[in-house]
Amino acid sequence: MEVFALVLRNLMARPVRSLLTLLGVLVATSSMVLFLSFGEGLRRALFQELSRVGPAIQVVPEGTEGFGFSPSPEITPETFQALSQAGKALGVRAVIPTLLLTRGGFDPNTSFFFQGLPPGVAPDLLYPGVKAREGRLLPSEKGAVVGGKVAKRHGLSLGSSLRLSPKVTLKVEGLLEEAGGLADNLIFVPLPVLQEVLGTRNFSAVLVALNPGQKAEEVARALERAVPGVKAQTASEVMRFAERALRISDLVRFGISLVALTVGGLLVANTVMMSVYERIREFGVMRALGARRGFIFRLVLLEALLLALMGGLLGLGVGSLASSAINLYTLDQVGLALSAVTARLSLFALGIALLLGLTAGLLPAYNASRIPVVEALGRV
Amino acid sequence: MLRAENLTKRYRQGDKEVVALEGFTYAFPKGATAVVGPSGSGKTTLLNLLAGFDLPTEGGVFLDETPLHRLSEDERAGVRLRHMGFVFQQWNLIPTLTALENVAFPLLLSGWPRGKRLKRAAELLEQVGLAHRLHHLPSRLSGGEQQRVALARALALDPLILFADEPTGNLDAESREQVAALLFAQGKARTLILVTHDLELAQRAGRILYLKGGRLLREEVLEVPQGQHL
Repeated sequence: MEVFALVLRNLMARPVRSLLTLLGVLVATSSMVLFLSFGEGLRRALFQELSRVGPAIQVVPEGTEGFGFSPSPEITPETFQALSQAGKALGVRAVIPTLLLTRGGFDPNTSFFFQGLPPGVAPDLLYPGVKAREGRLLPSEKGAVVGGKVAKRHGLSLGSSLRLSPKVTLKVEGLLEEAGGLADNLIFVPLPVLQEVLGTRNFSAVLVALNPGQKAEEVARALERAVPGVKAQTASEVMRFAERALRISDLVRFGISLVALTVGGLLVANTVMMSVYERIREFGVMRALGARRGFIFRLVLLEALLLALMGGLLGLGVGSLASSAINLYTLDQVGLALSAVTARLSLFALGIALLLGLTAGLLPAYNASRIPVVEALGRV
Repeated sequence: MLRAENLTKRYRQGDKEVVALEGFTYAFPKGATAVVGPSGSGKTTLLNLLAGFDLPTEGGVFLDETPLHRLSEDERAGVRLRHMGFVFQQWNLIPTLTALENVAFPLLLSGWPRGKRLKRAAELLEQVGLAHRLHHLPSRLSGGEQQRVALARALALDPLILFADEPTGNLDAESREQVAALLFAQGKARTLILVTHDLELAQRAGRILYLKGGRLLREEVLEVPQGQHL
């Protein structure tokens, strides 16, 4: 009772100072939570997207990693033929070439992402669960099927024209339901049309759908052996690559938030140090009454830890609110929740806040426990 | 029994050596012993050494056969907790704890369970006439009341030795009388070491030690029945 009451009441006895320190820790923790929530959000979105993608294997040119859609299509028709034959021999369900074209910049409001599919291949083979809201699901030779978000963003409806180049214009023949995934942001067009626009016979990637019971890893390695110069990636390999990239970006973002954390830590240290100097006599009395050094040490350290924990909890709350606000925006814009405050991020943030308190409290606690009794009581 | 043998304390002040106490030898019997003397006579230094707040330059302090001066800081704190109680001139209550919690504080250090220590603290506060002030913070108590809380706190673990350093120095006449009466009543069953400037107060103790210039000048044993102190 008294120990915790002593710590709490001491903090309450100096409300403005404690509140300002709390705010410092709150800002530090909430900014860290927000920064790191992007990594967690991307992980989650990526995992969800990969689990929605139908084909289990994506074949890209050797030396490409991750999603592998290089700016210039490099897989030749000959390579595709070789992959088709190898696929047949391995008994796969389908081997689908695809081509990607982007128009515009990074702003989703002004960008268009086209995915070319071979004649006869509907988007639901690549993205299972995708349904047509209006019109058809499989585009004709001069038609396009538009994802729900793209249609809403750009006001596209059945019959709208899409001009891919001065010579090529397509009509919107189908609008997809919004399913909250990548397909919401894509426009599916016939592959030959995109090849014509790009002036190439090549493909960006080749997707391989498996039959039930087939193991993705084994088929991927067999394809690589059969067709030199390609890299066959399974969903778990893409995830592993993405995880590596995300970890690096996590470190960068954590590094940035370290600045705020350091400031928060210094605030806690300053508050506790001031409190120790103001209470030297009180500590002297405790020692005179029989308190051991360890008792005083724990008392001061507990004060720093309590400040950090309260600031950490509030920071976690504020960071989560900010993350939700960002998700409202990104869901509206691109249909993806790009920020996530997961359980492990919450535990990490609280752990860091406590570590902050511990580090900031060590020196004041040590000093408080080492003050000679006669000096503390002013009895020299 | 608490005894001092050839207790000496010297400080350095720049190049100068200051002798605060020299060759003090005395065995404190049960009952009240007052230590008097002018400022700078070594009274506070003596109390610091006897209580183990500070270490002597020479000589030693023994509680029965335990040499306090050879113990570590934490060990001396343990001895204080188990065997000594303190009443200071400045009261020295913990400002953020109530009267009840202040009195219960030594019991907390001793590991008493919460219920028992609050009960004991309430009983002690009742003994010093503060049953109606249990939940008041020190800032809401008068000087006399604070000193009575300090006395109750000093008695919490029923110590063998009670140190009182100018216990009535900051009190008005009425409070001074109340505190002195309580203090001498408690001093009967234990060793009370009273450090004071106040000769009138000192004469209510059974013995008076006169200090001057860091030396014990003389001991005066008063033939006054203990009952008259009250």
